[in-house]
This record gives sequence, C-alpha cells and structure tokens, in this order.
Amino acid sequence: MMEIEIMIVGLNHDTAPLEVREKVAFDRASLADALDRLARLPSVREGVILSTCNRVEVVAAAAERAAFQEIETFLKERDSAQDHRDWGEHLYYYSGVEAVRHLFRVASSLDSMVLGEPQILGQLKDYYVTAQRAGTVGAILHRLFHRSFSVAKRVRSETLVGSGAVSVSSVAVELARRIFDRLEDKTVMLIGAGKIGELVVRHLQKSGVQSLMISNRTFERAVELAAEIPGSPIRFEDYPRYLKLADVVIGSTGSPRVLLEAETVEAVLRERKHRPMFFIDLGVPRNFDPRIHQIDNAYLYNIDDLKEVAAENLGERSGEARKADQIVDEEVASFVGWLNSLDHVPTIVALREKLEAIRKGELEKSLGSSLKGLSETERQALEDMTSAIVNKILHAPVTRLKGKKGEGEETVYAEALKKLFDLDKE
Amino acid sequence: MASFMEPTLLKITALIYLLGTASFILYLVLPKTFFSWFSPLLLLVGFVVHSGVLGAHFLEAGYPGVVEFRQAVSFYSWLLVGGYLLVQLKYRLTALGSFIAPLAFLMILGAFTFSGEEVLSPALKTYWLPLHVTFAFLGNTVFALAFGVSMMYLVQEYQLKNKKMTFLYKRFPSLETLDRLNAVLLVWGFPLMTLGILTGSLWARVHWGDYWTWESREISSALTWLLYGGLLQGRITAGLRGRKAAALTVLGFVVMLGYFLWGNTVFDSRHGGRFE
Repeated sequence: MMEIEIMIVGLNHDTAPLEVREKVAFDRASLADALDRLARLPSVREGVILSTCNRVEVVAAAAERAAFQEIETFLKERDSAQDHRDWGEHLYYYSGVEAVRHLFRVASSLDSMVLGEPQILGQLKDYYVTAQRAGTVGAILHRLFHRSFSVAKRVRSETLVGSGAVSVSSVAVELARRIFDRLEDKTVMLIGAGKIGELVVRHLQKSGVQSLMISNRTFERAVELAAEIPGSPIRFEDYPRYLKLADVVIGSTGSPRVLLEAETVEAVLRERKHRPMFFIDLGVPRNFDPRIHQIDNAYLYNIDDLKEVAAENLGERSGEARKADQIVDEEVASFVGWLNSLDHVPTIVALREKLEAIRKGELEKSLGSSLKGLSETERQALEDMTSAIVNKILHAPVTRLKGKKGEGEETVYAEALKKLFDLDKE
Repeated sequence: MASFMEPTLLKITALIYLLGTASFILYLVLPKTFFSWFSPLLLLVGFVVHSGVLGAHFLEAGYPGVVEFRQAVSFYSWLLVGGYLLVQLKYRLTALGSFIAPLAFLMILGAFTFSGEEVLSPALKTYWLPLHVTFAFLGNTVFALAFGVSMMYLVQEYQLKNKKMTFLYKRFPSLETLDRLNAVLLVWGFPLMTLGILTGSLWARVHWGDYWTWESREISSALTWLLYGGLLQGRITAGLRGRKAAALTVLGFVVMLGYFLWGNTVFDSRHGGRFE
C-alpha cells in the first residue's frame, strides 16, 4: 500500500488553448456537485478544484497512483462532446514534491501568464474555501493550501514579483487609450459581475471614465455593484438596447452561451455612425462572438489576448522571478519534510511496537524462569531499564525520520527500517 | 550676394532635414530620450534657414520663387515643415515628424536634381500665378500631413487588429485622435485645393484662353479633388471614418504626389515651368 500523496492533474494557459480550457472549466453552480463526485473517486481522499480562466486543476490527496487515471477521467467527463482526442494531451500530472512545488508556484503567481498578477491568490483562497465547505478538504490539503498562501505572501513581500506586474486591467486600459482619444467622455458597459470585470472597470474609472452601466442576470447584484463602483444598473434583458451608448463593453459572466453576436454589433455600429467600440471578453466560456473583431471599428480582446499583450510588455522572466523560485524551493523542502514525517509515523509506530513486543516477551520469559525470585521493586527496576534501552535504541532513528530538513533521505531510512525489521508483515 | 547665399543655405537646409529624419527615427525606436523634443526643434531650425533661402530669392528676383519646378519643390517642402510645426504646436504629434521629415528632405533633394535654367516667360511674372501655386501647394501640404496621420492610423489599427504590438504602439496616439485629425485636415485641405484649382483655371483662361485644357496635371488634380470631396462627403453624411477614410487619404496623396513628380517629368506638361 502506498502512503497518502499529493497529486495534481490539470491544464493551464501554457498547455491548453482557451477553446479547451472553456470546455473543461467548472462554473460556480456545479462546483459543489463536482467536488462531491471527486471525493467519491476510489483513490481520492481529499480534493480541491481550481477553475479560473487560465487554469483548471484538481488538487488531491490520494492513496493510489490510480488516482491520476481517475481524475483524468473525471475531467474528461466535463466535455459534453466527449471529444477528448484534441485535448487529452494538454493535461499535466504532478505528484509528491512536484505537486507541492506546482501549487506553491501557482499561488505565488509564478505560473501565471502575467507574472506576479495578484488575482490568482484570491481565486485560490476562494476555491479552497468552497472545497472546505463541501467537506472535501482534510488535514493534508488544509496544511498544503495554508502553506501555499503563506508562501505567496512571502514571495510578495521578499521579491519585486507582483509589484510592477502588468495586470490584465492595466493592459485593457492601455488598449482603450490607443483606441480612444480621452476616456473622460466615454461610456463603459459591464455585463456580469465577475471579479476581474469589476477590477477592469475600477481601473478604467481611475483613468478617467465617468459613465458606467452595469447589467447582471440578478438585477439586485447589479444594483449592489452600481452602488459600490458608481454606475447605473441595467436589467439584463435591457443591455442590448443600451449597447449603442457604450464605447467599451466588458463581458464578465459565466454564461455558457454567447451574449453578443457579430450581427448585433454591426447594427449597433451603424447606429453609432461607426464610432469605434472596444469589447473586452473576460468570460470563460467566451461571452462575445469572436467574429466581432473582424468588424470595422470594433476591437475585441479576450482574456488570453490581454495576457499575451501583457506578457509581451513584461518581457522575459526577471531575476526577481528566480529569487521567488528559490523561496518556493525552500518552502517546498520544508513542507515535504512535514509531509514525510507524517508519512513515517506508521513506520515509527510499527518499529516501536515491534521492539516493545520483543522487550515484553523476553522480560516475561525471564521473569517466569531464571528471575522468578525477584521482589516487586526489583521487577519494576528491570521493567524501567528495558524500557529505557528500547527508547534509547529508538531515539536516533525516530529523530531521523521526523527530521524536517527535507533532504529526502527519510524515505530511504523508513524503507530500510521496514525491510530490516520485517515491519511490513505485521 | 543673394545668388551666392541661396544654394549654400539650401544645402544647409537639406542637411538639417536629413538630420531631422534620422532624429525622428531614433525618437521612434528609442524610448524616453531627448529626441522627443530635439527632433521637432531640428525641423524648426531647418524651417528658419529654409525661410531665409526663400526670402533671399524673393529679394533677388523680386517675385516669390514658387513657379519653376526646382523652386516649387523647395517651396513645397518649406510649407510641409511649417505645416508640421503648426500641428506639433497644437496637437503634440511628434511621431508625425517621422513621415514629414523624410518627405521634406526628398522634396528638397528634388530641388537639386531638377536644377535648370531660371528663365521665366513674361506671362509667369505676375502675382496671379504664385497665388495659384500657393493655394494648390497649401492644399497639398495639408493633404501630406493628412497622409502622415493616416499612415499612422493604418499602422496603429493594424497592430490593434492583429494584437501584435511593436515599439510603435506606444509612440503613436490613439485611433480616435488620428481619425479626428484626419477629418480636421480634410476640412482645411479641401477648400484650399478647390481654391488652387479655381485660381489655376482662371489664370489658364487669361493666358491660355481656356478654363480647362485636359492637361495631365489638371486631370490628376480633378481625380484627387473628386476623391477628397467624396471622402469629405462620406465623412459628413455616411459615417465614413477609420481605416477606410485613412486608406482613401493615403491613396489620394499617392495619386497627387505621383503626378506631381512623374507627370511633370514624363508628360510634356505645361505645369512645372513649361507654361507657354
């Protein structure tokens, strides 16, 4: 039997195009249900699902290697078309140390398309809490995620990664500035109340935009948001009517169907006398028809485009990123040390029990024959002495096994002990 | 004195425009350097020296040196640089200089290439003709500026549509700014061009006996006039703007410039000095 191991199966902006990511993406509503099914997989003990526009990952604590296969099938079932051939190759698999490193890097935004973008940590926390509420988080993932949050904080405070990060929203504002002369007299329409959408709007407002319309499927949420970031709420069924007033249209819903067709935009542009419009599609799956970009005076950027422009602006990975990776390595070592010490507890217990059994057996044998005439005090003294011998013998190997230096030798020792003392047979 | 000064000053002007061209290219390529103010300044210095050349000719000959082809190209490049400086003053469109400086340099180079006898027939020694040339050239200057602005629009729009940003992305202003400027220049350029054609036509009636002679230059002018007129009309009534407007502006200017350089040398045109 294998000990509990951390395993990750997933895909991200690097390994899979948006088309694939949106097929696999989980929407908020079905997440609890999905977590439930995940936890019921035979090898999976604990599980957390991450599903942002840039990545879909299953983080699990599993008891068997077979968990990889089970999780893969679990993800592939997402694709209603069952057409896995074109995306199976986009998946990556991590286990043990590699899985820990991967999650720490994700949390620290070292795995993001835009290095150091701050949103990912919040999203990670969100998905962790969701899994916790669904009851699929146990001791191991609890510790893993909390450690990843503190690693992210350490990276942020000890390196410059993130401080000069070109985030999606600043790229969106920069693009708006290249399309429009001044933003002060422009109107923005936000469809959906997604977090990133809100962020982009706030950024646009900071850059001068004064007029904002907010539309959301639940009108109350639109009203709420409009009070928070000054704007006017619009009923969801009304947003097409107001479209012609908007210079910038941001789609930030989790809607599975396209909200804006190219034909609609063409008609709106005619009404606007072809004054340019800038569409920002932050939704996964996409909110806007990609053909909109082919229309004259219409510019459509989805989340991938924005990140690509941002990545271009940022250039190659900096020395700060290398520094951050060193921090991650340190933290991985320390975490793996803890994990291993946890793993070796059964070995330690078995060893102790074995020695204890020998001690007791031999003691009883002797007390029953050659040492029959001993007084109660003498018996006690003998008991204490043999216990002390066992403890002294155990001290060094136990300390070695619980060692948190993360040198990776613990496993070797544990295996050796098991073999030398025949611990597996019990 | 003046006849000695003039060619020397003109060479200095050409040199300054050449340096200006290099400086503007450096401005585009290098981020945040002194070239952003040095390049327009260089053109301003060139403009002042160039004004000296034209002034010297006026003092010597007693009439503005705008009619003979060699002088005409020099006069045109002077207007071009002046026009750019005005736009720069009002709109701070430094990057436009990258189109105007090389154009001005090439024009002034033409002044050396096409050097010929400065013998002017009596018919041309009037103020009517300089008036015609001045209007026509002012129109052309404004359209040259519109050409530069439109080229910038096309480049910027290409980058936004292809989502591949180069170093020019941050150097060039927004599409809206460029499109608006294109409209402003069109509104200025079209009446000037119309006046140029009208004065020319009147002059032709007086000296050649006909308002219109189907001469190559007249045909090209008519073509561009129709093109720009259509563009202006489309802008006002049909919401024609953006890439199409920019592309038409570029096309109009290429036709105009093509005839200006090619039509004068290849066709036996009565424009460009052979007015009899």
